[in-house]
Amino acid sequence: MRKLILAPIIATALMASTQASAQDTLKIGLIQPLTGSVAYNGTADANGARLAVKERNANGGVLGKQVELIIEDGQCSPANSVNAAEKLIQRDKVVALVGAFCSSATSAVMPVAGKYKTPFLTGVSSEASLTEKGNPYFFRSAETDALLGKAFSRLIVDNLGLKKVAYIGVNDDWGRGSAKAFEQELSSHGVETALIEYFNHGATDFYTLLTKLRGSGADGVFVAAETQDGSTLVKQIKQFGIDMDVFGVGSWATSDFIKITGDAAEGIYAAVPYVSNLPGERNERFVKEYSAAYDHAPGKYAAAGYNSMNIMMDAIDRAGDTDAQAIVDGLHATDYEAPNGRYRFTEKGQGYGFEAALVQIQDGHTEVVATTRIANPEADSGGQ
Amino acid sequence: MDMLLQFVANGLVSGAFYALSALGLTLIFGLMRVVNFAHGELYMLGGVMGWLATTVLGLNFFAGLALTLAVMGACGWLVDRFLIERVRDQGEEPSILLTIGLSIFLTNTALLLVGTAPLTIEGPLPNKPVFLGPVVLTELRVFAVAACAVLILAAHLVIRHTRLGRAMRATFQDPMAARLAGINTARVYASTFALGTMLAASAGMLLGSIYSTHVSAGGVVSLKAFVVVILGGMGSFAGAIVGGLLLGVAEALWGGYISTGTVDIIGFIIVILTLIFKPYGLFSTQVERA
Repeated sequence: MRKLILAPIIATALMASTQASAQDTLKIGLIQPLTGSVAYNGTADANGARLAVKERNANGGVLGKQVELIIEDGQCSPANSVNAAEKLIQRDKVVALVGAFCSSATSAVMPVAGKYKTPFLTGVSSEASLTEKGNPYFFRSAETDALLGKAFSRLIVDNLGLKKVAYIGVNDDWGRGSAKAFEQELSSHGVETALIEYFNHGATDFYTLLTKLRGSGADGVFVAAETQDGSTLVKQIKQFGIDMDVFGVGSWATSDFIKITGDAAEGIYAAVPYVSNLPGERNERFVKEYSAAYDHAPGKYAAAGYNSMNIMMDAIDRAGDTDAQAIVDGLHATDYEAPNGRYRFTEKGQGYGFEAALVQIQDGHTEVVATTRIANPEADSGGQ
Repeated sequence: MDMLLQFVANGLVSGAFYALSALGLTLIFGLMRVVNFAHGELYMLGGVMGWLATTVLGLNFFAGLALTLAVMGACGWLVDRFLIERVRDQGEEPSILLTIGLSIFLTNTALLLVGTAPLTIEGPLPNKPVFLGPVVLTELRVFAVAACAVLILAAHLVIRHTRLGRAMRATFQDPMAARLAGINTARVYASTFALGTMLAASAGMLLGSIYSTHVSAGGVVSLKAFVVVILGGMGSFAGAIVGGLLLGVAEALWGGYISTGTVDIIGFIIVILTLIFKPYGLFSTQVERA
């Protein structure tokens, strides 16, 4: 199955490096869900990563070699992602790993990366405890649920004026983590909790959940879901005649989400680390290049894939060598200028310093309501 | 009380969808002894075809459904004549391997052709809410449940009251005797597989108009269809309907009163209990198959 999907990708990668013989490429492995219920988002991430590699190869590659990106389908499942990691490390001999997307999958790949001493960076998985596991090879260039909750709860209370909120999340580490983090932060601002419920990946019928939501007396609902599940859920909220402020995290503020959700998307708020109409010249350049390559504007995950791949390639360049420890040191020294601010890492490998935005969908477009910076978590809370 | 009514209504709606999704699977098993692991993918292809017909070709919903049924029926026929025919009468394992392979092939082909984006099919009715006392439904859902009933009834009539249906039942009871009586069993098998494929595809398109569909939708559908078929009895028509409704209501009540996050557990509990206490399912009288 994987071969079939990857054949064209690998073929392109090989063609790009025809001058250099196989030994001369520098291999980086990327694990993303290319099938399954978050396939859409995983593919966006892979597209961002491909763009980053293409740009870098056009400018001479890394350590004087062309970068060869090998992409495997992890299906957002821990078992498949571990298989993919073993294959990438053992057979393809990649020097570093990026990805796994879903927190549960990333968490399962971490011990594999530790065992083979392979630097491993995730640009997406946001479940807070990942960077608390003490794995020296693991880095995260994404916000955690807790950091996002902290950064946004004030903005949400001020902008939406909610008193009682219901929390709905997809039933995995990320969804549960996000619902919990926002519930905690909003409670500390005096917002009551109406209910906390979860649904499974790929669920299609939310009427039972919505029956409970309608009876809960909430005036706002927080949703942690990706494009596919989120779109179905939001459409059914409107069908069911529920009139509440909807806000959430996940891949919401993208043109695709708006396209498949239609009118039901109007007025929804999303807390996102990236949106294509963020101000700044660096972002304009990225949006232009991405749009030229894929015919649509980049969303949160395209940016995540682009950023994480660039951070990893920068780190290898800085290391001057493909030795794992040197790359890890290179990652620690990261100061990467992304389309959405500057990325740096804490001692534990947690990224910070980049911007995140609260956006609202209006007339089929995302409007930036407010932006906030993801602060260094170890600076104010003593590294929890 | 109002909540309970709403939960039961939700359960019956999704139960009707489960029943329709499972019908093709139970039909193919009952008549052909083929455990079709590609069933969910045929459902997915129905949704994708429906999307192509309504969005790309610009047909209305019913014309699109007719086209989808015709194309998918032909696909089912060809799959039987060119693939399943080769492993017929070799026991169940070769056909299981074959259909698993087919499911992987179909998913990835669809992935190459239409990509991972969710596909929305324009329904024939608006998704406006309908209030029946305290219960909320949408016009489209009421329509879909009615369409499920019509399709199930149509399949039943074909099997009970047509020459083809009689030939199907005769072939199931004793293929050798059926051949001796002059029935072209190869054609009967192909027709059965085509009918099963059309049922799966119609479910895929109908549900694609209510939710949305995508190329990876098949896995979950197969899983639920197997639960329904095991509960109702492999090959039983009535079993698929009752099994579907029971699963739908059980999931809705579990989700409503316990938690929606663990709702998939109920299907597996049902399978385990069925296999322990009534291993042939609720409706498996050997004579009443199909």
